[in-house]
Amino acid sequence: MCQQKEREIEPLLEVKDLCISFGKGGGRKLPVIDAANLSLDQRQAVGIVGESGSGKTMLCRALIGTLPRHGAGIVSGTVRFDGQELAGAPERVWRGIRGREIGYIPQSSLAGLNPVLTVETQLVESITAVGSFSRQEARQEAAGLLEKVRIPRAQQVLKARSHQLSGGMRQRVMIAAAIAQGPKLLIADEPTTALDVTIQREILSLITQLRQELNMALILVSHDLAVIEEVCDDVMVMYAGASVEAGPVAALSKAPRHPYTRALRVSRVDRAVPGQDLEAIPGDAASVGSWPAGCRFWPRCALADEACRRDTQPALMPTAQQLSACIHAERMAELEQ
Amino acid sequence: MTAVTAHAGEKMQQKDMTRPLLEGKDISVTFGRGAEAFDAVRAASVTVHGGEAVGIVGESGSGKTTLARALVGLQRPSAGEVWLEGQPLFSAGTEQRMPRSERWKTQMIFQDPYSSLNPRMRVWQAVAEAVQVWQNLSGAEARMEALRLLNAMGISDDQARQFPKSLSGGQRQRVSVARALAPDPKVLIADEPTSSIDQSAQAQLLNLLRRLQSERGLAIIFISHDLGLVRYLTSRVYVMQKGDIVEAGKTQDVLERPQHSYTQLLIDSIPGR
Repeated sequence: MCQQKEREIEPLLEVKDLCISFGKGGGRKLPVIDAANLSLDQRQAVGIVGESGSGKTMLCRALIGTLPRHGAGIVSGTVRFDGQELAGAPERVWRGIRGREIGYIPQSSLAGLNPVLTVETQLVESITAVGSFSRQEARQEAAGLLEKVRIPRAQQVLKARSHQLSGGMRQRVMIAAAIAQGPKLLIADEPTTALDVTIQREILSLITQLRQELNMALILVSHDLAVIEEVCDDVMVMYAGASVEAGPVAALSKAPRHPYTRALRVSRVDRAVPGQDLEAIPGDAASVGSWPAGCRFWPRCALADEACRRDTQPALMPTAQQLSACIHAERMAELEQ
Repeated sequence: MTAVTAHAGEKMQQKDMTRPLLEGKDISVTFGRGAEAFDAVRAASVTVHGGEAVGIVGESGSGKTTLARALVGLQRPSAGEVWLEGQPLFSAGTEQRMPRSERWKTQMIFQDPYSSLNPRMRVWQAVAEAVQVWQNLSGAEARMEALRLLNAMGISDDQARQFPKSLSGGQRQRVSVARALAPDPKVLIADEPTSSIDQSAQAQLLNLLRRLQSERGLAIIFISHDLGLVRYLTSRVYVMQKGDIVEAGKTQDVLERPQHSYTQLLIDSIPGR
């Protein structure tokens, strides 16, 4: 997969040591992300996995420039996209990026669609945002987009409003809107979370097909490692606002080098033997505002020692075929006993 | 866990594999009338024995939740009967409600732990309330009992003093289980209990449910669209599609040799296959 890539080429997207805090200005700051790292090449698919509160969605919103305007802000770090620095970029710059260069499918497809407008009106809006389309052309384009996302009876669906569509259909419409302007990168934030498994399968294969047809790179956010393994080349694991492991999907699944990644894998029910306990991670995920000092995972980690409690959150370091933020990455084998 | 295992021996002896603990016979639930009528469940028959874990799987809208609600008396069936320990609980057409003396035996936990707890009650109060409904205890005794139930679910006294908003999804779901266990029920219906909680909390909750079933002899009806969960937790399964039970049998047989094309589709859709 990605080991053979030529490293001289600049990645399409590179996020380095990104920190995002709530509470701008002089007041008390509440960090929600403090060490996010992500690198993505042209046409590559990277998954972001982590539990609620780990900062996945905040990272996505930083990547499309829609952080809550008065609430959160980038404190430090860089976001380079296609040769351009986007951290702290003004809205004028974002208008040229959002939708045109980076398409976005939000978490809730129901909330993403306007309930009082028809699908057609909303798609035409996405299409004409680029300009130079007559209404008639834009309508034809909208119908074409629905065909691209494999919606049968496109004319009927164009006249429908969101409540008349099933969850899977709505998600297809959201995907159509996200790819309307032919972006280089598509970000899908938990695109299948509320859907049935059969529909999930259809949406995932649609995203994969579109990625190939349109030569797009993909960031797929999910709390389900199995979903990411199915669709992505690389994966980045987040825990409590920090990237804790990143690398090829196969490497992280065969030999994870962070105890949290391993815990996510072994606590999965599809691998469990009926009648035997699941290997659950003890305790609860560290929530925003109450991150422990030291490595954030130490209170739940079997490898934790004095150094883990004392030092700051470790940075991602190369180990085996991936990057890990665990100072005991070489001792992972001990957990298998 | 020690506190809740006290009844295990007694319960096991009561277990009578020939007579089902809970039985739904030809249950139909129709919403609306005339041309608008919609059959949510059509002539579904389900049996659950004491101490058994049974799964109901299907997609959204397949009728699995409606069927389960009919089994615990939260939804009046339009046809069919529900029997508990050999006694008819209610049958369609009669105005009779599920008798209070029987209601404690079947309890349910719901999909969304965020909306199933009162946000203005402290966690221990929510459980103590349920305790007082079912047991004739003083306020102080009910509080002790609530804390005992919560501790057994891994909720500390400290967490029990909080309001639900301060708890994580997984913790809230364990509070729901404590609440459901207040009357010491015989059947627990768990409706997609893990679908809105994080993966690490999922494993904790599933271990807990499995122990309640194996150590305490609690019968569990587990509703899910996730065959992986059902495979791990249940010994028998019913597959529902659009209101009909299309396949039923031992979980292992159904998953290894599905007879119905819909079951096959569900199996093929599991991520990672």
